[in-house]
Amino acid sequence: MHQKTPEIYSVELSGTKDIVKTDKGDGKEKYRGLKNNCLELKKKNHKEEFQKELHLDDHKLSNRELEEKYGTDIIMGLSSTRAAELLARDGPNSLTPPKQTPEIVKFLKQMVGGFSILLWVGAFLCWIAYGIQYSSDKSASLNNVYLGCVLGLVVILTGIFAYYQEAKSTNIMSSFNKMIPQQALVIRDSEKKTIPSEQLVVGDIVEVKGGDQIPADIRVLSSQGCRVDNSSLTGESEPQPRSSEFTHENPLETKNICFYSTTCLEASTSPVGTVTGMVINTGDRTIIGHIASLASGVGNEKTPIAIEIEHFVHIVAGVAVSIGILFFIIAVSLKYQVLDSIIFLIGIIVANVPEGLLATVTVTLSLTAKRMAKKNCLVKNLEAVETLGSTSIICSDKTGTLTQNRMTVAHLWFDNQIFVADTSEDHSNQVFDQSSRTWASLSKIITLCNRAEFKPGQENVPIMKKAVIGDASETALLKFSEVILGDVMEIRKRNRKVAEIPFNSTNKFQLSIHETDDPHGKRFLMVMKGAPERILEKCSTIMINGEEHPLDKSTAKTFHTAYMELGGLGERVLGFCHLYLPADEFPETYSFDIDAMNFPTSNLCFVGLLSMIDPPRSTVPDAVTKCRSAGIKVIMVTGDHPITAKAIAKSVGIISANSETVEDIAHRLNIAVEQVNKRDAKAAVVTGMELKDMSSEQLDEILANYQEIVFARTSPQQKLIIVEGCQRQDAVVAVTGDGVNDSPALKKADIGIAMGIAGSDAAKNAADMVLLDDNFASIVTGVEEGRLIFDNLKKTIAYTLTKNIAELCPFLIYIIVGLPLPIGTITILFIDLGTDIIPSIALAYEKAESDIMNRKPRHKNKDRLVNQPLAVYSYLHIGLMQALGAFLVYFTVYAQEGFLPRTLINLRVEWEKDYVNDLEDSYGQEWTRYQREYLEWTGYTAFFVGILVQQIADLIIRKTRRNSIFQQGLFRNKVIWVGITSQIIIGLILSYGLGSVTALSFTMLRAQYWFVAVPHAILIWAYDEVRKLFIRLYPGSWWDKNMYY
Amino acid sequence: MRRQLRSRRAPSFPYSYRYRLDDPDEANQNYLADEEEEAEEEARVTVVPKSEEEEEEEEKGEEEEEEKEEEEGQGQPTGNAWWQKLQIMSEYLWDPERRMFLARTGQSWSLILLIYFFFYASLAAVITLCMYTLFLTISPYIPTFTERVKPPGVMIRPFAHSLNFNFNVSEPDTWQHYVISLNGFLQGYNDSLQEEMNVDCPPGQYFIQDGNEDEDKKACQFKRSFLKNCSGLEDPTFGYSTGQPCILLKMNRIVGFRPELGDPVKVSCKVQRGDENDIRSISYYPESASFDLRYYPYYGKLTHVNYTSPLVAMHFTDVVKNQAVPVQCQLKGKGVINDVINDRFVGRVIFTLNIET
Repeated sequence: MHQKTPEIYSVELSGTKDIVKTDKGDGKEKYRGLKNNCLELKKKNHKEEFQKELHLDDHKLSNRELEEKYGTDIIMGLSSTRAAELLARDGPNSLTPPKQTPEIVKFLKQMVGGFSILLWVGAFLCWIAYGIQYSSDKSASLNNVYLGCVLGLVVILTGIFAYYQEAKSTNIMSSFNKMIPQQALVIRDSEKKTIPSEQLVVGDIVEVKGGDQIPADIRVLSSQGCRVDNSSLTGESEPQPRSSEFTHENPLETKNICFYSTTCLEASTSPVGTVTGMVINTGDRTIIGHIASLASGVGNEKTPIAIEIEHFVHIVAGVAVSIGILFFIIAVSLKYQVLDSIIFLIGIIVANVPEGLLATVTVTLSLTAKRMAKKNCLVKNLEAVETLGSTSIICSDKTGTLTQNRMTVAHLWFDNQIFVADTSEDHSNQVFDQSSRTWASLSKIITLCNRAEFKPGQENVPIMKKAVIGDASETALLKFSEVILGDVMEIRKRNRKVAEIPFNSTNKFQLSIHETDDPHGKRFLMVMKGAPERILEKCSTIMINGEEHPLDKSTAKTFHTAYMELGGLGERVLGFCHLYLPADEFPETYSFDIDAMNFPTSNLCFVGLLSMIDPPRSTVPDAVTKCRSAGIKVIMVTGDHPITAKAIAKSVGIISANSETVEDIAHRLNIAVEQVNKRDAKAAVVTGMELKDMSSEQLDEILANYQEIVFARTSPQQKLIIVEGCQRQDAVVAVTGDGVNDSPALKKADIGIAMGIAGSDAAKNAADMVLLDDNFASIVTGVEEGRLIFDNLKKTIAYTLTKNIAELCPFLIYIIVGLPLPIGTITILFIDLGTDIIPSIALAYEKAESDIMNRKPRHKNKDRLVNQPLAVYSYLHIGLMQALGAFLVYFTVYAQEGFLPRTLINLRVEWEKDYVNDLEDSYGQEWTRYQREYLEWTGYTAFFVGILVQQIADLIIRKTRRNSIFQQGLFRNKVIWVGITSQIIIGLILSYGLGSVTALSFTMLRAQYWFVAVPHAILIWAYDEVRKLFIRLYPGSWWDKNMYY
Repeated sequence: MRRQLRSRRAPSFPYSYRYRLDDPDEANQNYLADEEEEAEEEARVTVVPKSEEEEEEEEKGEEEEEEKEEEEGQGQPTGNAWWQKLQIMSEYLWDPERRMFLARTGQSWSLILLIYFFFYASLAAVITLCMYTLFLTISPYIPTFTERVKPPGVMIRPFAHSLNFNFNVSEPDTWQHYVISLNGFLQGYNDSLQEEMNVDCPPGQYFIQDGNEDEDKKACQFKRSFLKNCSGLEDPTFGYSTGQPCILLKMNRIVGFRPELGDPVKVSCKVQRGDENDIRSISYYPESASFDLRYYPYYGKLTHVNYTSPLVAMHFTDVVKNQAVPVQCQLKGKGVINDVINDRFVGRVIFTLNIET
């Protein structure tokens, strides 16, 4: 595994600036690295295109050179014929979907997986036995052929069932995969045409409007106010401007290339941002395609529950085969014929294999999957249901998962005071002091100096949910003011905008000039917002309590303190100032010229600060606490700034209130970071840059030593390194992600969790689970369900395994003691696949015994699903008691019919002779062969009823593993009673309804035999209560260790 | 540059190249003047003093080395894994350090064995108790239910694994075993024995003996001589030597069975399939061809020790020779069932005679 991984690290989308600066000169060197990697890929993937395509230098070429290179014309576009040729050559412009296992292979896997192979062996042995019989006696009975067919049928039916269940759960997902076919506006044959974007070819000239997805990797030829959301590449949703200028050597950084599947944002300006570009890469050769193909290179790990089930199958199959072979040898050495021995072998295998169990497990898992889907966890892979329960580390995204994924005003500073704004989901409770006149001015600036607008037609949508055209901060401000002031649009209308300088990164402020609605003075109001220190530079006065005061040193200092404090909270701080332009200088008719700047932009009046943050979801802190108490380490992995990340981590409890990082300690003690004893720090904030310089050992050390870790400024690729680090700690790792880039990490993780709303399709494809509400808290409910299902599966398996002994003993006794066969193979199948199915599913509905969220996650290699105590207790305790009880019923029936137990011993040979029709019983009566056979079937039925009655007790005791049944409540799980009823009804039908069908070898049993095993059932219950009592009384004792499963 | 540094420190990820994107936070952080931090980052980056070429060479060298390591690494694990597994297994079987067998110390083993001994002892006690209770409810003299063994089955003698009587009259070897079998069977019916052990009870009525279950019951005589020509007394070959075989028919014993309404059960034989004239005559002994009522009821093996099953002998005096003749002998009488489809031995018996001359 380890040798294969390096290529995954190869595409590393760095979110840091430092490299940009240092590497500017040595572009060549970088490409050498690229080439190296490509060669590596080529070796592995046999895809020569990689090498060629990653040599992306189109951004450096001029338009003319581009035209030449791709044989196209920027004005005319490609000719349709040329496009068709290229399409034929390159294939459609879409990502090759991840390789699906063909349905038939999936089906066949079900047919030979698990116990099926053992049953097939049994079936073939049956046919072989018949073959041997037939060769010596042409009139041999077809019983063995029927049995073989029944076994085959059982395998096929359970296989079909499991396949159907799987298919059903995958179908839920396929709805996600159906994407609306994308259209692209392309210039071909000098005409603008709309074609499905799959048909795009290299060299096409496309036009993309704001709001559209970029249909392929394109080189920007011209653009108007276009900004793209590269979040699917980088994981961060800050828009980035795109223009036709070549700004950077690196194709990923230059502004003139847009990438496939990123989104061109809707701008609030008109005309809407558009971009015209030339397609330079399509389909799998795009950067996204490249990453997606890397993701598919990451092997899917086996889920923990799959490992557990495999382990369990191995145990049971091992027991079955070894007992089978042992008794085959015993039988042969007891001078049984080989043919008979083979038939014993079949019986032993059938008795030992819980045929219905795997189907039951599948049903149980899918029931839980359904339950989880209701709680917004959509499970793609059934087995992932349990994986979540055994999760010990969650690597969570910040944006959207822990936070609400929208900027929200968190604090305000005016009148030398910091006010707290409500950041909860509905914003309803704004409690800060709104009476100050400073607030009135500030609110005016917030309202007016803002280009964001609500999309039309959302009158009935709550304000916080309304869609907005505009960037994140402006949206936050718009909603904030809308909540507090009411109709913002109306206010803006009353204060008509006459001029505006939009925000840009060089001046770092935004300015607009408005008419005022003040009837007394028709003067213009200039409002401005921007980076606080830039704003402060432009101010000469500050407004306090509605009065303008000169800005002196002390006020500047209070400003700085507030600014630093808010900044330290990881919040984005904006400064606001305004100026009423004197009416005499700027009369109503004054024409403002933005380029000439014919208005003052200094000596303004500073009004206040406002800080924004993407606030945590209100449910998250609680969920994180739950994870904590459940022993799950929550690690935040974000591309965000460390300060912001840490602030959010603190507010949601990922870094708990009383723990400190090394830096915190250093700051508190006023010493250098190096001097701090690293053991004192519980928390760590690691940036992507630091991570880059770390060896895997160092990373391991961090992961092992710190309880609370935040990874900030990480590239999505580093997520993979972190996940691997966690897995090296033997942890079961859950990873949340939404971007395309997260997909390798999602795949690598033991359970990848994609975001249902924000997630890209690639992420959803790679994930095992989709969070429909993007909410971290849903993961916690998932964990709870996962743990519950693990416990309940244990119960189900214990329940199912128990009767195996009761089914196996008859064969062993039959071989060794020579009793007439107590239970037939077909009857066993009726128990395994008939009466026991519904009860074992019913155990899936059992409630947790204690607070499962208060214990540590199970250890992958230690807390097995089927452990020794479980097997021993099921087989050697309850199973044996059950066998005894069933034998009691069997002996009762035989004794009352005339065969006392001592007569039965070694009667087998005479009993089974077809020509002996006057076999004497204990009373001297003589029996014909058929009469004996009928009695034998009655014995089967009696044994069956004996097992059935005791399985009811078994079902009841399996409700709990530690608590008394009476603590758990006998009637709380109604489904158990449905199970018990079904068990009895099926038993009654088999005995009395189908008693006359000879092939099934059931007979009508006297009613009283149903009650023979009842005392045994009660004994089983009592014994188990005693066991549980001792476990509760003496935790940690020998008894607890050996008897608690 | 940074990458090279990393590749030296973290040799497990050698082939890294890097795509760099614009800092996504650039716009984001525009408002937040984080020049401080930028400066810091710059400072950290500029620490790398080496010239590029040197590093490139070094990197190449490293890559080669790593490749070698990888190859070596791949070769070993398969063998190692097996060896390790074997070691783990053997350690599991016997751990000399901690003196543990199957992961348990001797003490632990003795404790567990002791506990299991007591557990199974008490289970044995429970099952013994159960069986004891079972025997309390069951009479040793009379079975609780007899419905499975009713209606009575029928068997014939001589019987040697098959119901095909295939013999050649002129070759005694082919029928001698029938004679031996019959002789053996009839030993218990010897007149002297019967007279000594059993009573001569009045024919034509049930021999009912009241009294407690556990009282010994008397049995009625069924003398060998009742069978006349088939008794083997006059003709010790039971007619086999003359091609007129005797076949004895007996009804299975059933405790408490009484033919209905005082009508004795009769036996009648005929050709099962084919020409009815294949059997021209059959003599029955006793001549009534019936089981006399005095042999019923049967009181069970324990008290009815000397009970002798009544017999009906069929003397096939004139049967078609040199061909297989399927014969069906049925019990006839009120309430007698002889047509159960699944059981060909209830109230009837089918056999074939193939007498060669």
